[in-house]
Amino acid sequence: MSGVRDRAAVALYTRRLWPPLALAVLLVVTWALVAAYGGTTYEAYGVRMFINLMVVLALQIFSGNSGVLSFGHATFVAMGAYFSALLTIPTADKGFQFLTMPHWLSSWVFPAQLSPLEAILAGAGFATLVAALFALPIARLTGVGAGIATLAMLVIGNVFLVQTTSITRGTSTLIGVPLTTTFVSVLVWALIFLGVAYVFKQSRFGLRLRAARENVRAAKSVGIRVDRERAIAWILSGFVAGAAGVLYAHWFVTFSPGDFYINTNGIDLVILPIAMLVIGGMGSVTGAVIGCYFVTIVYTFFNRWEVDGFSGTVRTVPSGTANLALAATFIVVLILRPRGLTGGRELAWPRDWRLLRRRPATQARPAEQPAGSTK
Amino acid sequence: MLIATVSNFAQYASDSIYYGSFFALISLSLSLLFGVMGLMNFAYGELIMAGAYVMFYTRGWGWLAMIVMTIIIVTALSLLMELIAFRPLRRAEPVVLLITSFAVAYGLEALGWMTVGTGTQKGFEPYPWLTTQFDVGGVLLSKLELITWIVTGLLLLGMVVLIKRTSLGIQLRASTEDFRMAQLVGVRANWVISAAFGITGVLAAAVALLFTFRSGAIAPDIGQGPLLIAFVGGVIGGLGSLVGAALGGFILGVVLNVLQATLPLSINNHFQLFAFAGVIAILVLQPNGLIAIRGTWVRRWIQHIREAPAWQKLST
Repeated sequence: MSGVRDRAAVALYTRRLWPPLALAVLLVVTWALVAAYGGTTYEAYGVRMFINLMVVLALQIFSGNSGVLSFGHATFVAMGAYFSALLTIPTADKGFQFLTMPHWLSSWVFPAQLSPLEAILAGAGFATLVAALFALPIARLTGVGAGIATLAMLVIGNVFLVQTTSITRGTSTLIGVPLTTTFVSVLVWALIFLGVAYVFKQSRFGLRLRAARENVRAAKSVGIRVDRERAIAWILSGFVAGAAGVLYAHWFVTFSPGDFYINTNGIDLVILPIAMLVIGGMGSVTGAVIGCYFVTIVYTFFNRWEVDGFSGTVRTVPSGTANLALAATFIVVLILRPRGLTGGRELAWPRDWRLLRRRPATQARPAEQPAGSTK
Repeated sequence: MLIATVSNFAQYASDSIYYGSFFALISLSLSLLFGVMGLMNFAYGELIMAGAYVMFYTRGWGWLAMIVMTIIIVTALSLLMELIAFRPLRRAEPVVLLITSFAVAYGLEALGWMTVGTGTQKGFEPYPWLTTQFDVGGVLLSKLELITWIVTGLLLLGMVVLIKRTSLGIQLRASTEDFRMAQLVGVRANWVISAAFGITGVLAAAVALLFTFRSGAIAPDIGQGPLLIAFVGGVIGGLGSLVGAALGGFILGVVLNVLQATLPLSINNHFQLFAFAGVIAILVLQPNGLIAIRGTWVRRWIQHIREAPAWQKLST
C-alpha cells in the first residue's frame, strides 16, 4: 500500500520538477558543448546568452506572472553593474576617477574591495532597493500605464547615470573593473535563477499573481491583494536583474549608461529581453529559456554570417543584415505563433507530448488557462 | 535664479508652444492607432526618419514637389507597414503588437543604416527665408515657428472635422469604442485600419517636414527621441482619447522645454529626471490619463463647451 503511495508521490514530484530539471540539463549541455568546442568567440556569445537569460528570467518572474509589461529591468541591470563596479575597482584606480565624489560616499566606497560573490550580493541587493523604491507606483498600475511608468523609470535611471558624473563618470567608462565573471559562474547563476523563477511561479505568491493576471476582479474577490503580490514579484525580479548586471559588469569590464538603454544595434538590454520572452511565450519559464535560445541562435547565425561568412575574412553581406534578419524573424514568428513558441506552457512530461499534439489548436484569448501547464 | 520679465516669459511661451506642437502631432497619431487596434506603434519614429530622407533626396525639386513626395512616400510606407506586419496580427494581444512594432522599427532602422544612412552624415540645408527671426514686441519669432503653429493647428482642426463630421470618422470612432461590434454593424475592418494608418502616415510626414526644416540633421535614429516623449505624453493625456493624447503630448513638450529653460544650472542636467518622476506620479494619481477620465475638471469643462463630445472614454 504505502509503496504504491510512495511511488505515486515520487511520480508527482518528478512531474512537477521535470520542466526546470530538463531546462537545467539543456543549459549544462549547452555550456559543455560551447566550452569544449566553441573557442573564445562562441564562449563570449555563450556568456552573453546566459546573462541575457538571467534578465529574461527576471522579466518572466514579473511580467510573465503578472501580465504587466516592463521596460525598466535594464535599470536594475545598470544599478547592479554600477554599484558592484564602484565597490570592486582597486582603491588606487578610484582615486583619480572620482575626484568630485561627495565625502559621505567616498569614505566607504573608496576602501571597499569586495570579492566576486560579495559583489553579486551587494549589486543585486542595491538593485533590489531601487526596485523597492519604485514598487509602489508600479504595483498600482496596469496595462499601458504600467508599461509607460517602467519606461519613465528607465529614462530616470539613464538620466541619473549620465548626469551624476561625480559618481558614475557619466558617459565615460569606468576604469579598472576587475574581470571576474567566468563562463562557469554565469552558468551557475543562470541555473540558480532558473530554479528561483520556477519555484516562484509555482509558489503561493506566483499562483496568486497568475490568478490576478487572468482576472483581477475574481482574484480580488477571493482575497488576493494584487498590489502586494505584484510588488513582491517586482522586487524579486529586481534582485535577479541586478545580479545579472553585476555579472555583466565583470565580464564586459568597460560599459557606459548607453549599454543599459534603448539603443539600436539590435542587442540592447531593454527591448531584446522582452522580445525573447514574448517570442518564447510569456507565461512560462520554459518560454523564457526557449525564447532566449531561439533569438540568440538566430542572431548569432546572422551575425557570424555578417562578420566573416562563418569562415573566411571576406564580408559577404552588408553590415546591418543581422539586425534586419532578426527583425524579420520576429515578425514571422509572431505572425505564426502570436502566443510565443511555447504558447506560454511549460515543457510537458514526455508521455503527454502526443496528447498535446492531438489537442485542437486554440487561438483563444490569453485568459484561458494553458492546458499543458503543471498546476 | 532667473527673473522672468514679461518679454522673457513670452519668448519661453512661444518656444514651448513650438516645441510642444511636434509632440501633440505624434501623440495624436499614436492615440489613433492605439484606439483602433490596441497598437502602441514604436515604428512611428521610422516613418519620421523615412520622411526626413525623402526630403534629403528630393531637396533639389523645389519645396512644393518635395513636400508632396514626402507625404506620398511616408503614407505609402505606413500603409505597407500595416499590410505586411500588422494585418496578420490584428487579433493578437497588445504586447505582441508592441513587440512587432519594435521589430518593424528595428528592421526599418537597420535598413536605414544599410542604405541611406551610409557614408557621410547627411544634412538638410534650412531655407534662410524660413528660419530668419524677426522681432515681435521683444519676442523673437521665425516664419518656421509660425508655420509650425498654423500647420499643427490646421491638422488638429482637420482631425476634429474628420473624426466628427465624416463617415470615416464615425467608423473610426465606432471601431475605437468596440471593434467587434463595429464590424457586426458593417464597418469594414481592413478599410478602417488602413485609413487609420494612412492618416498617421500623413501626420508623420508633417512631423518629418516640420522637424527637419528646423533641425536640419538627418540620421536613421532621429525619430526615436521625439517618439519616446510623445508616447509618455500621450499616455499622460490618455491614449484612449485623441484630444487627450494630443494635449498630453503638447503639455509634456511644453513642460520639458520650460524646465530646461528655468531650472537653476546646478540641477538643470537632471531636468528630465524630475519630469519623468512627475510622469509616474501622474500615472498613479490619474491612471486613465488627465483628460480621458470621467469627472475631472478638464473633462467637465470640455463637456460644458460641447454637449456631445467625440472623445468618449475608451477602453484602455
